[in-house]
Amino acid sequence: MPDRYLQVVEPTDNVATALRELDAGEPVTVAVGGEERDVEVQADVEFGHKIALEDLAAGETIIKYGKSIGNASQDITAGEWVHVHNVESNYGRGDLADDDQVQAVSE
Amino acid sequence: MSEFLGYERDDGSVGIRNNVVVMSTAPYANDTVKRTAEIVDDAIPITHPLGRCQTKPDVFQTYRTLLGYATHPNTYGAVIIAHAGEIVDGDELAGDVADTGRPSASINIHDEKGVMNALKAAVNEAQTMVRDASEQKRVASDMSKLTFGINCATSDTTSGLCQHKATAGAAWRLIDDHGGRAMFAETPEFFGGESELAERAVNDEVKQEILDRVERWDQRLQATGYDVRGAQPTPDNMDGGLTTIEEKSLGALVKSGDGPIQDIVDYGEKVPDGAGMYIMDTPGHGAESVTGIGAAGAHFMIISTGQGHALSNAVMPTIKVTGNPNSAERVPEETDVDVSEALVGDEAFDWATDQLWDEIEDVVNGKLTMSEALGESQFAIHRIGPST
Repeated sequence: MPDRYLQVVEPTDNVATALRELDAGEPVTVAVGGEERDVEVQADVEFGHKIALEDLAAGETIIKYGKSIGNASQDITAGEWVHVHNVESNYGRGDLADDDQVQAVSE
Repeated sequence: MSEFLGYERDDGSVGIRNNVVVMSTAPYANDTVKRTAEIVDDAIPITHPLGRCQTKPDVFQTYRTLLGYATHPNTYGAVIIAHAGEIVDGDELAGDVADTGRPSASINIHDEKGVMNALKAAVNEAQTMVRDASEQKRVASDMSKLTFGINCATSDTTSGLCQHKATAGAAWRLIDDHGGRAMFAETPEFFGGESELAERAVNDEVKQEILDRVERWDQRLQATGYDVRGAQPTPDNMDGGLTTIEEKSLGALVKSGDGPIQDIVDYGEKVPDGAGMYIMDTPGHGAESVTGIGAAGAHFMIISTGQGHALSNAVMPTIKVTGNPNSAERVPEETDVDVSEALVGDEAFDWATDQLWDEIEDVVNGKLTMSEALGESQFAIHRIGPST
């Protein structure tokens, strides 16, 4: 039986949202579309946070709601906590903008 | 229910509250506004730091927003307090309010020869208005008169999975079954979902306008030279599990459902009568987006929240709904409707929509929301450019 507290929105998603706290080392079964996926949770995960459903290489697209929510900023293994430490956004990236696009702002 | 009991206005709108507002046109009138509202029971103070030394785009926006509140369907009458001669003109504002048939008064601190005289004049006007307002009775009115605001607040990963579905369900029930309007906002929170959103536009012009406005926001944020993360998503969003603005956006868009988008309008701009879903172009900053939607005349606002939030408005009641069971337990005083059983229990999303709709029916007929009972409210007009 898949764990109802691990929610995947679209079958193409490669992350699941935890609707309970997860423990490191815990084996979980996740419903992905009509299939079931078994992964081992790699670290304690708080309510509402995400785990990877498969191994993801640095630069690979993180998919939720069937769409990109950013890219892996480092290699991520199945069952790993997926959050700000290993995912970067593709919007509002003034830090990556060309100098001529940027207005001078002091830090 | 296709009718509710509301307050009829001469301009054809119908309110769900009968507020008297006391409003400043510039920061130097703010204290006189606050003191007036402290003396006159039931008068609602509206203060802000704008209205002076602003460039024209901001002047128009400030004026439009203030006029929106002074002529809001829930507003009976308005006392406008100006400091001196200002680019946001108090007499002009009071005149525009009077044109809608509402009682209005214009008080100028400079002309009154000081704040003490101005306070006395403002108290006299507000006292008369609240007594007159208290005599007006609610009458049966058609639900098609209602406009429904929608906003997120401290979103987390539960928002897009649960409470936003209930919010969308209730909004489309008002539109499809009762001929009303709904409006959502927060353009930077379309990042990552803009293509699908634009496809819902009723025509190509609106579709392109949605895409252009999203692109403009991304350019504005890039021009800062910094990564927007921390501002979007916010630290409390990230605590709740949201990793990027794209993830926040894709969840946020769930609250608008999947039906057609009639138009995307400027900050504080009113929308035409008739049924349909509208977008207002605002930042994701909740106090600013909610203030903008209120200026458009939304009768009430669903605040669909993940972690719980004090976000509220003095003129437009806010109904807070969460599907996060931990939030409902942690901040019960900020939770009007708890639909978490649809996320972690055995209830369906239709049940969640029904729960929210029942509360909406009660609130439009006069039941106080959690925020109203606590006297909580914020007012923050979005500014475009620099002061000068």
